[in-house]
Amino acid sequence: MVQQQPATQPEDSTRNENAPVILSIENMSVEYKTPSGWMQAVRNVTMDIRAGDAVALIGESGSGKSTLGFALLRMLPRTARISSGTAIYRDRNGKTYDLTEIDDKTFRRMRWREFSMVFQAAQNSLNPVLKVSDTFLETGRAHGMRSRHEIRQKALKLLQMVQLDPDRVYNSFPHELSGGMRQRVSIALALLLDPQLIILDEPTTALDIITQRAIIDVVKNLRDEFDFTMIFISHDLSLAAELADRVATMYAGEVVEYCNVRETFYNPHHPYTVGLLNAVPPIAGTDFTPLTAIPGATPNLLHIPSGCAFHPRCPYATDICVQEDPPLVLLEGTRNHLVACHHHDEVTKDPEVWEKMEVTAEAQTQAIG
Amino acid sequence: MTEPIMRLEHLQRDFDTKRGKITAVHNVSLDIAPGSILCLVGESGSGKTTVARMAGGLLKPTSGDVVFEGHNIAGMSKDEFKAYRQAVQIIHQDPYASLNPIHTIGDTLRAPLLHHKMVSSRRAATLKVAELLELVDLDPPENFITKYPHQLSGGQRQRVSIARALTLNPRMIIADESVSMVDVSTRVSLLNTMLKLRQELGVTFLFITHDLAVVKYFGWEGNIGVMYVGELIEYGPTPQLIGRPVHPYTRALAAAIPEADPDITRGKEKLQLRSLDIPSLVNLPKGCVFHPRCTYFEEGLCDLAMPPLEHIGEGRDVACFVMVRDLKEGKDIFQPTVPERKKDKEGAAA
Repeated sequence: MVQQQPATQPEDSTRNENAPVILSIENMSVEYKTPSGWMQAVRNVTMDIRAGDAVALIGESGSGKSTLGFALLRMLPRTARISSGTAIYRDRNGKTYDLTEIDDKTFRRMRWREFSMVFQAAQNSLNPVLKVSDTFLETGRAHGMRSRHEIRQKALKLLQMVQLDPDRVYNSFPHELSGGMRQRVSIALALLLDPQLIILDEPTTALDIITQRAIIDVVKNLRDEFDFTMIFISHDLSLAAELADRVATMYAGEVVEYCNVRETFYNPHHPYTVGLLNAVPPIAGTDFTPLTAIPGATPNLLHIPSGCAFHPRCPYATDICVQEDPPLVLLEGTRNHLVACHHHDEVTKDPEVWEKMEVTAEAQTQAIG
Repeated sequence: MTEPIMRLEHLQRDFDTKRGKITAVHNVSLDIAPGSILCLVGESGSGKTTVARMAGGLLKPTSGDVVFEGHNIAGMSKDEFKAYRQAVQIIHQDPYASLNPIHTIGDTLRAPLLHHKMVSSRRAATLKVAELLELVDLDPPENFITKYPHQLSGGQRQRVSIARALTLNPRMIIADESVSMVDVSTRVSLLNTMLKLRQELGVTFLFITHDLAVVKYFGWEGNIGVMYVGELIEYGPTPQLIGRPVHPYTRALAAAIPEADPDITRGKEKLQLRSLDIPSLVNLPKGCVFHPRCTYFEEGLCDLAMPPLEHIGEGRDVACFVMVRDLKEGKDIFQPTVPERKKDKEGAAA
């Protein structure tokens, strides 16, 4: 089955372009308390998510992508706090809530029904002493599904849809299932109460290739069947290429580029996005593709470089990049391609720009605390 | 042909587990030419790490031999074994666990130099350490010598592990998933550093990974062995094997990998396997170990015995009854599985 974009669709639009915004994050910052002070993990993130979209948050470790996801769903550890910003969530009836402000009771009532989360290590998110059936029953009952029969029917249907043997898996304990199977159970569970929004944290990381593929196919099928909005967090660009409608690239706590998936991969305008793309080895093709690394290392979040945080590693950097943090602006001539770079006009995918760059001692050692 | 630096001959390794005896590696034979790269690819439980540990002398084979530079390591004297362990160095997956947190980078790298009397004084050791750090692109070395592992990033720590492996001038390096725990851009720079070391020092690499795309990049000039539940099921030069995999398992693997290119990756065919589950090592299927999942399965052919590895030309081998028979019948078994890479659509939206 070959899935292709309709030819008439411009590169820069999505099928959900006119759908209502269901999550509007504004100026959100999150920090962690460390012995050396507050560490800025997410910095002034502003982004809108439209109903039906699949949004990928990509970036390397320390980019803030997981912290942002956790902050939205109140999963931050005690050492973290949301230091600024709002996250306005709009439910199916049009009622809005600020996720950073609502009380715990309201939040608990909304969890699973309005939004749910699938965690990276599914073995840790399923209770090991409960059978899969009990987990489904507990979750369903706690959120208003009264009938045992109804829950069971829904669960079996979902398990079938995630390509598991429903009767066997429903009566199993988590330890009787493989990692990939548990991950699929978590996905089925996340859909039990028909939530509007699902957040998946590194859904395929640490799974074998063929299992990863199965998860990807499952998520695609589920999106065709149910009309949910999805945010998924991944360090893996190819997962974004597979599943996302829109991609937000994060670096040092900020969103540096936010656009449609084809724009991210075929027309990137932030040097960091380009750097990531130039570093991913392709498997397709019978020729050898040279790869270039981004020089230096990701910054220590206690000492974020001045101006644009990426400037010590960037071949395009000039004085202004050292002084001013570029805002996320609309790329000229596009409808929704946002980029935060002073030199976004000059950015090309040409790897030569990177090869010529001298690695400064600052970039090389900035990871050292 | 030059004499291989290492020969693995009919290696088998069994483990006793609570659920019974398992054979983690079964009848694996491979030759590694000096200065070459051999990549072993496989999913978890394929036995690739067990092969690496036997090749590195960390684990004794249940049967079969590891022959290094013409000498069987099982018959080596204590001194010979020590020399072999110096010549063959291992880089582990997890640099967080393999570096001692209470020693500085300088101490960690000086210790083997002094212990093996590679240098005459502490001062000379420090000079050698600086040289090694520069070699693995930790430049300038002064910035790193006095640091502790926790002060470095994951990629920098892994560079220190590489530098440590180089302290004893090894002729061969075994890298076990050594780039799987770092970020994408760091991974490429580590791979580039290792490729540079191979060029400059002529070190032979045995490279273990689950990532076929990493192998395509790192092992382009070398060979790949594909493992599946303890068996070596396909072997050959990297460009040919990746471009046109023959074994149904390798094909499934190549087709399953998501690609960082929306058009290519969304154009891939849906995965076609008869079962998603890897069989348990305790209870392996009869016949070809892959047959319960294989779409090419033929009753009466595949479920009787494990197919042997057979030559199919171009320096390639495959363990599959169906493919070998089809080749003999003149069929084209070398079909590309992945759509060709299109030219970049740079600026297409502009």
